[in-house]
Order: sequence, then structure tokens, then C-alpha cells
Amino acid sequence: MAEPLEIWFKREILSHEEMLMRFLARVWPHRDELSDIRQEAYARVYEAALKRRPQAPKAFLFTTARHLMADRVRRERIVSIRAGGDTDYLNVLVDEISPERRASVGEDLVRLARAFDRLSAKCREVVWLRRVKELSQREVADHLGLSEKTVEKHLRTGARLLAHYTRTNALIPPLPKADLGELDDEKVEHEHGKHASD
Amino acid sequence: MSTESTQAIEEAASAWLIRRDSRVWTPADEARLQAWLDASSLHRVAFWRLEMAWEESARLKALGAGIAGHQAPPRGEWNLTPFFDSSDQKVALDEEGASGVETDELCDTSHGILEGPSVARESAARKRAWFSVTAFVTAASLLVIAAGGAYFWVEAAKDRYTTSIGGIASVRLQDGSNITLNTATEVHVDLTNKERDIDLARGEAFFEVAKDATRPFVVSAGKKRVIAVGTQFSVLRDGDEIRVIVAEGTVRIEDRGQRSARPPALPVAAAGSSDAMLLSAGSVAHAGDSGVLVQKEPQSETEAQLSWRTGVLMFRDQTLAEVAAEFNRYNERQIVIRDPAVAQFKIEGNFRATNVDAFIRLLENGFAVRAIESDGQIVLSSN
Repeated sequence: MAEPLEIWFKREILSHEEMLMRFLARVWPHRDELSDIRQEAYARVYEAALKRRPQAPKAFLFTTARHLMADRVRRERIVSIRAGGDTDYLNVLVDEISPERRASVGEDLVRLARAFDRLSAKCREVVWLRRVKELSQREVADHLGLSEKTVEKHLRTGARLLAHYTRTNALIPPLPKADLGELDDEKVEHEHGKHASD
Repeated sequence: MSTESTQAIEEAASAWLIRRDSRVWTPADEARLQAWLDASSLHRVAFWRLEMAWEESARLKALGAGIAGHQAPPRGEWNLTPFFDSSDQKVALDEEGASGVETDELCDTSHGILEGPSVARESAARKRAWFSVTAFVTAASLLVIAAGGAYFWVEAAKDRYTTSIGGIASVRLQDGSNITLNTATEVHVDLTNKERDIDLARGEAFFEVAKDATRPFVVSAGKKRVIAVGTQFSVLRDGDEIRVIVAEGTVRIEDRGQRSARPPALPVAAAGSSDAMLLSAGSVAHAGDSGVLVQKEPQSETEAQLSWRTGVLMFRDQTLAEVAAEFNRYNERQIVIRDPAVAQFKIEGNFRATNVDAFIRLLENGFAVRAIESDGQIVLSSN
């Protein structure tokens, strides 16, 4: 049975996100565009893989990202100090950036725990109950005295923030708060007049 | 190029993800999700990305196993878990020296790996023991702790470590050895001057044994004893049947009656008993009442069988029946196969041990299989 594209894509492409972001942050001067470029690169790789899966997926991903940035430079006539109007700086060998580190169990968990700790108090509690204690959404809502809708909102925020925090090196500043829905999250908490114990 | 912003797409993707995860999910819902995914590659990759992260977040369970009550542990107190051992901290610090304050916080306080005695002391000092390995100390030992930790250790330390279903935990022993406990596992540790006695009461554990020729490392499981000096191996116990996988070095396996704790360096003949058997790296031994069966496996195979230590199950050309049995070790919700034809499907791939949902979804997508869940059972039948 041919491996489903989804499985392949997650393992061969999405697993390189941290390194990809580090690469993008190094060569692209506009921080607010990093996630756009990343997602566009993913989409292009996906479309290419629909026809034929690349033999060297990681290199293909980085090459795709490089082409996207070169396109942007040309299209928008972006001339940054770093770029100096020429796109040679985009030609960084993938493996120069950082040697592939095989994440150990502990390392993965440290990263996850740290990401989890960055969630707001309420969001953290909701994600914990749902993912670790495996309560249903309804049960989480009852337990915390929130509406199910609010619980769902926290879970959505949690999923997005965990994806971001677990995959983004600390060198890259977090995305603007609004972009990550953190403001929403705080609002939700205040709405319910519940304050975190810590 | 899509006119939707990356942020808007991500928000929509998270809404789909959580809704699918949390509610009654009808075929109509699924059709609408598929339509949304098909509408743009940007939708699809955003969804997969969040889905992947969300699935990974279930690994918080590894940190949460054994924590009583519903409340999440306070921020930053993860360092009490045995996962943050010294080697991991080094990796974290190597990260271009970047992670700054956070890393330092984690590392400064966490070099006291969960050694036996600190488990005991920590749990006594805290209102509730929430880390994944719980240690129970006998009243006698507690008295000795009060007298002084160091002395206590030279004498004896009896500790019990357990994991619940789906939990994985790692314990560093006072002698420098490391035990990784798999799902639903219980071990008793008794370190003395003469011997390092480990009793595997149930479940499976991987042992990384610190070299100490004067004190054999003896794992008792049912009627068998597995003896090592410095090596790496796993023992799985199912009643009196055990399976031993040797990753490195040599271990000796013998009947429990033979109380000679000789180091395993002796050849079989010299061990003086036909019941004792030496296993070298790459060996997979099944031992029970009927004797010991030893197979030599290539390294890739033994690695696959030990992959549970990373929370991942690796299957190579195994039947769905075998795969389901393996998943059932890690999850309260049990997979039941009613259809013999379905049981014979061949499965290959790597899966998160605790994400039975993702596995079932893949099955439904990849095979003509239907899953119906009721009463904590997931019943598979052909479509």
C-alpha cells in the first residue's frame, strides 16, 4: 500500500519547520511575512508532491522557499539592506544552517512542556483537561464553569499556539499577539471573570 | 495566490480541527471539511500542520501520567519529571544558546534528576505527587531518610515506580543506571551493596545499566531472572512469560530459583546449568515455562521493537491483529476486531502509541474498514 500523502507530508516536510523558520528568519528581513512564506512553501511542495513525491523532500522544501522569496524580491522590488538587491544570499545550503539534530524523547518533551507553559492560564488548563485527562469538551466546560463555546475557543487557540511555540526557535520573536489570537484569549477569560490562580 | 491571510486560514483550520475532535462528527461534517481542504492547498497544509501539532500535544500525557486530580501542574514545575535528565538539558542549551531565560530556568533546577531518594523526598514534601513516576517508600526507609540521605543509600533503598496506561517515564537510579518504564508498568528497585535487584511486577521496561562489576544488575520477572553488569536491554512481562531484547552488551537469563548472582561474563557451560543462557546484542528471547526461544534480529528490527521509548510504535509488515494488541497496551479504549479478514490486514508505519484516533482514521481512509465506538471499545469490521 502506498503511504498516504498526508503521512508522508507530515513526516518529510512539516517536521522541518523549526529549521525552515530559522532559515527564513536569517535571510528574510520582514518578520511579519515569515509565516506567509512558510505556508506558501508548504502548499507548493504539497502540490508538487501530488504529482510526484520529491526524492529529497527537505532540500526540495528549502529550495521552494528560496524561490518564493526570490519571486517576492522581484515582484515587490524589495531591496533590504541585507539583500542589497541581489538574491545570492538566498542560496544557503540547507545543511549549513544547522546539522540535523535527532530529537530525543526528553528534548521533544522539554519543548512541548515549555510551549505548554507559555499558554495563558485558562487555555493551559483547558488543554490539559482535554488532552491529558481526556475529558470531553462538555466535561471540561462543566469542570471549569465555562461555556462549551469558550472551551472550544481555548482549544483552538491552544492548538495554534502549541504549533507555533513548539516549532519556532526562541531566536525568532513570537508573532504579534493579535496574530495568534492571544488577545482574544485574554478577553475570553475576562468575560467569565475567572482569574488564574498563578 | 490566495487572498485569504495566513492568519485567517490558520484560524479556520483550528476551528475544523477542534470541532472534529470534540463533537459528534457526521458524514456531512466530514464532507464539508473535505470541501474546505480541497478548496485550497493552503487550507490543507495549514490543517495538517495544526493536526500534527495537536496530535503531538497528547504527549503531555507522558508528563501527566500519575498526576492525581484534574489540575495541570504549575508552570515550570516540569523539571520534577524524570524526563529532564542531564543529557537533555545539554541538548537544550546547545540550541544556539538561544532559549535564554526559559532554558536556564528549566536547567538550573532540574539537574537533580529524579533519583530514587529525591523522588521519595519530593513526594513526601509535596502535597500531591503529580509526576509520572510515583515512588512509594516503606516506613522504615523514611526513618533512614530522616537520618541522612547518603547513609540511607549505602544501606538499601526500596522504591516502587509505576506508570499508568499510556504513560512512559524514565527513572535514574542512584548507581547511575536508567530505567524507562513503558505503559502500565510497575518496578520495584532494591539496591544493596551486593546486588542491584529490580523486580518487574508487570509491564515493560528498558534498562540502561551503569557498569559495576561488583554489583550485578538483576531483573526478576515472574519465574525468570535477567542478569547484567553493564548493558542495555528491555524486559516485557506478561504473567510468567517474558520477552527480553538486548540492545547492547550481554545479559544472562536464568530461572529464579538459581540465586547465584554471578556476573554474566561466564560462558554458559561455566554457569553450571543448562537453564542459564547468555544473550548477546541483537537477541530477542521469549522465555516461559516451556523454555527459552532466542532469535537474532538485525539492529533495525530491535530498534523498531524498542521504539516505544519515544512514544512511537513502529510496525513492519504486521497484521492488524498484532498492531491492535499493541495499541491496546497503551490505551484504555480497546480496539476489537470482529472480522477475521480485517484482522489479517498488513500494517506498516509509525504511530503515536497514545493516538489511537489517528490510527483508526488512517485505517478507515486506507482500508475498507469501519470503526464503531461504544462503551470504550472501538470495533473494527469490514465496510
